[in-house]
Amino acid sequence: MVEVGVKIVLSLTQIAVVMGVVLLTVMFLTLAERKVLGWMQDRMGPMEVGPYGILQPVADGLKLFFKEDIVPAGANKFLFSMAPLLALVPALIGFAVIPFGPDLTVEVFGVQFKPFVISDINVGILYILAFTSIGAYGIILGGWASNSKYSLLGGLRSAAQVISYELNVGLAIVGVLLLAGSLSLVKITEAQTGWFWNWFIFAPPFPQIFAFVVYFISAVAETNRLPFDLPEAESELVAGFFTEYSGMRFAFFFLAEYANMILVSCIAAALFLGGWNAPAPFLQFHGSLAHLLWLSATIWFAVKVYFFLFLFFWLRATLPRLRYDQLMRFGWKVMLPIALGNILITAIAAYLFPRG
Amino acid sequence: MKLKDWIKTIIFYEILVGMNATLRHLLHYKPITLQYPHEKRSLPDSYRGMLSLLRYDDGTEKCVGCDLCEAACPSRVIKVISAEVPGEPTKRYAKEYYMDMTRCLFCGLCVQACPVDALGMTREYEWAVYDKRHLYLNKEQLLAIGDRAFPVREKRLELQHPNVAFFNVAFTHLPPKDN
Repeated sequence: MVEVGVKIVLSLTQIAVVMGVVLLTVMFLTLAERKVLGWMQDRMGPMEVGPYGILQPVADGLKLFFKEDIVPAGANKFLFSMAPLLALVPALIGFAVIPFGPDLTVEVFGVQFKPFVISDINVGILYILAFTSIGAYGIILGGWASNSKYSLLGGLRSAAQVISYELNVGLAIVGVLLLAGSLSLVKITEAQTGWFWNWFIFAPPFPQIFAFVVYFISAVAETNRLPFDLPEAESELVAGFFTEYSGMRFAFFFLAEYANMILVSCIAAALFLGGWNAPAPFLQFHGSLAHLLWLSATIWFAVKVYFFLFLFFWLRATLPRLRYDQLMRFGWKVMLPIALGNILITAIAAYLFPRG
Repeated sequence: MKLKDWIKTIIFYEILVGMNATLRHLLHYKPITLQYPHEKRSLPDSYRGMLSLLRYDDGTEKCVGCDLCEAACPSRVIKVISAEVPGEPTKRYAKEYYMDMTRCLFCGLCVQACPVDALGMTREYEWAVYDKRHLYLNKEQLLAIGDRAFPVREKRLELQHPNVAFFNVAFTHLPPKDN
């Protein structure tokens, strides 16, 4: 009985810490995005709130918290309130299987406890794919329940786009799964230990560089970021599926978008760039400092994730939005064949030259 | 050539060029933003800002109530109610003078039309107000703007050089008068 209690307390603390870190990262990202975009466009970004505008996320959060919560006339009230939660919860729940650090096991009050992964389930990556697909429901229902043309068009676009690009994400990952021989993100990360050429993006027998490119482009499309932000294209659809949302409900959609960005960055880092592994073994704490391995490992993981997040901003500053038919053609006629060809070649290579 | 184009397509050559451009701007960060309320840009010499009524150096109003500014104004900003100067039947002055600055387009035609240089354009532009009615200015307000914007005043016409006094009537290309 005590054991169960300790387990529950440990899990809840772990979940609280991970959620806290994710939400803090989201807060930081909203500022970082505006700053980076500004710097790339010879502007300054927010400068008024606090020194160099660093308190801007706090001001934005307070503003959203105190804003009037409007439900448009003729909207489906139940679905209108449910949609933001349906978007936010799947985005946050995916972090449960991400390994943020080495696969250590600590014993606390006689309970085995893994501090750097909330739950190491053996179908981790499938679990994430399943839940991010549910996130699309939040967007579609939010668009439909708003009783507004712009929202509905945004929701419909999102439905088509997310379905097309989910497929590519799934197929791009298959190559990695073939090489790693596991669906658990912990095992996949462990299969990439050692030097950087063991990372699946460079790994023999067949480097997953094409899969990586397909995965990243599809991930940008799946999170509705530029240049694939057709569901919320502000120059065509006002704000797309969240046109009618305000206050905290809008904040939930906003959080969901950024949490999704962090999630796909974490997956990309874990699957293709070796997760918490350093490019070279001597760049981790080792030898007499081996008990501090977790520190350097989490730092390496954060560096990789932040690289991807910066790439999101960078793409946004550079590229204009795709046209809708271009988006569909690119997804089905270019990305899908590349992903399928990659699976075929990886399968043959993995059969002929099995990894030690 | 075909192979070269094909290679450029598969390595996203155009996108990489664009991303290089944005990264260059990030690394050589030179913002062109002016943090407006904290720093202000310098105005050109011929800036046409808020309108004002002027006085001579002895404190009397320049305006003779001739209504030419009202006639010149293309958007009917100005309303002059003219009257005789008490005790001096040959002289007139503006008993009341109103400007509806919500309609003004700062063309400067009233300043050019004035025969006695009684109107001046200041370099003020921060005239945002919460109530539109605060932009309906009367004579006292316009004179106050003139007082704070033009601290150096002209002598009365009859005390100026006779030629200048004659040509002072609506000729803008004259050399500046020394007071």
